[in-house]
Amino acid sequence: MNNLYTHTQAIRAHPSEKWIADIRSRYPVEKAIDSVFTRKLHNRNQTAGQNMDFSRLHEPLVQFLTNQTGQKDIDVLNIQRLSGGASKEQFTFDLVIQTPTGEKETRKLMIRMDPKESIVETHRLREHQVLKAARGEVPVPEVLWIDPEGAELGQPALIAEFLEGTVQPPQPEASEKMSGVGMYFKPELRAALGHQFVAILAKIHAIDWQKKDLSTLDVPEANTTIANETMLGLWERAWNEDTLGAHPIMERAALWLKEHMPVVKTPVLVHGDYRSGNFMFTDDLKINAIFDWELAYLGDYHDDLAWASLGLFAGPDENNNFLASSLMPIDDFLAMYEQASGNKIDHEKLFYYQVFSYYKISVIAAATSLRVAHSRKTHLDAMMNYASGLGYIGISELNKMLNNSA
Amino acid sequence: MSPEIEQFLSGMKKTIEEVVLPNLTDRFAQEQAGIVAATLGFLSTIQDKVYHYEVFENQQYKHILMGVLAILNTDKPLDDELLATIEKVNAHLQHDSPDEQTALRPYLFIRGSNEHMKEFLCEFIQQQPSMPDTTRSEFETLLKPFFNDLEKRERSWVKGLGFDPEAEQQADINDLLYENNILRSH
Repeated sequence: MNNLYTHTQAIRAHPSEKWIADIRSRYPVEKAIDSVFTRKLHNRNQTAGQNMDFSRLHEPLVQFLTNQTGQKDIDVLNIQRLSGGASKEQFTFDLVIQTPTGEKETRKLMIRMDPKESIVETHRLREHQVLKAARGEVPVPEVLWIDPEGAELGQPALIAEFLEGTVQPPQPEASEKMSGVGMYFKPELRAALGHQFVAILAKIHAIDWQKKDLSTLDVPEANTTIANETMLGLWERAWNEDTLGAHPIMERAALWLKEHMPVVKTPVLVHGDYRSGNFMFTDDLKINAIFDWELAYLGDYHDDLAWASLGLFAGPDENNNFLASSLMPIDDFLAMYEQASGNKIDHEKLFYYQVFSYYKISVIAAATSLRVAHSRKTHLDAMMNYASGLGYIGISELNKMLNNSA
Repeated sequence: MSPEIEQFLSGMKKTIEEVVLPNLTDRFAQEQAGIVAATLGFLSTIQDKVYHYEVFENQQYKHILMGVLAILNTDKPLDDELLATIEKVNAHLQHDSPDEQTALRPYLFIRGSNEHMKEFLCEFIQQQPSMPDTTRSEFETLLKPFFNDLEKRERSWVKGLGFDPEAEQQADINDLLYENNILRSH
């Protein structure tokens, strides 16, 4: 267990109401984000750790689905934990339900639940709204039901259809790496999936979000820095709430991000975690689902471009050249995106979001992942400590980029 | 004392890899056991250097904070928050003096002192916008090599975790901590 050496470390581990109020006022974030972050801090004072026994889930799940479907004789079978899923606990199960014609039908579904504390604290209703907004525009799983506050299931949760497909193809060697980090796709996979990956991103950015119900997203004013202010507020707040210790390079980066913040001309729906590992494809090599929309917000399309082409996620080709999201050279990725979307790449802005991307991954892997392992409030304690390796590489890359900045 | 810590760790790793893992059928459990084994392997590579890592950082942070204090020892008016941080640093350096042989102190003392010094340096970084322009420029110039050394050291430390696509290009932590008697030369 990490010792608490300073007053700041002690108060972070056991936040007081005064400290929570102070941190809320210091970092401007969207309303929905404020509510989940504040809930996280209140939960941190609870002593109960993450319960790994998921047999507990059966009874409330049956009750929840009975309420949602209005059917009294439903059944829930074969609850199984899915591997991966760093930020949320994920399970598959079979729901036995009656069809409108009176026959019994078995549907394979998945449930995505918040652990006690997550490496990214996000809002289930917001994720649900974004998935609904994206459905019909790009391939996403259909969300069927949601328990946004965890009132019935114990933790906030979202239930969606289970889709069959491949997220991580067979890799050249055994690896304990996190999904999506340095993955390898064979040339025939890259050839088939690369264009789809870019075309779908362009479609996401073209979604007419003003016509969708996205009430849990704050709408930033066009031609202002507001979208970036609230996004930096989120990640700076996460760092300051979660880190186990201070880090000079992270402070350097936060100051640089504040002092170089670009204007967002026309906010688009930003996926927020668009990369290999967060899409799935079928045996006939069609991308059939884009996952992990929990970080979506209204902002600048350069943010997704920077994240998807981040060196840390890049996997190599056969000649050891690193590829954007393990699929194509970065220049090709950007050129294809410009062509597919009609959005011009501003390389100064792209650089800003590359720095921001390394800041974000460093917050996740060098601060929040270690915090949730420290608090014993995750389902993946060993992996969360291990992920610090990713965080310190992120900080190293961040420092190099800041050295190269004007 | 025997066995050495490395022997404990490698024994556990072998047991997990050769006894536990082959008998697990659940995919999630296999994945987690694999990470435990990999973590034990990583610990084997760093466990004998943890103490000197903290001693080294103690020297580095004392050195940089004294450099910052020298820059801020100026006739130009300074912001109240900056003055408060200067006061905290001066008080801390009485508690863990640069002239003292910190290496003879217990690990927890050194680690605790380092955590305080990191916070002070971060406060100075946050306070840069309130520094007079020339002072800020001197501060940035002073910190740049410090940032680079820190980044290099941390990346070297974690390279055994296997995430680094450029692992072969990273320095060996033994060289960073022990080359040219660096711990003695500060």
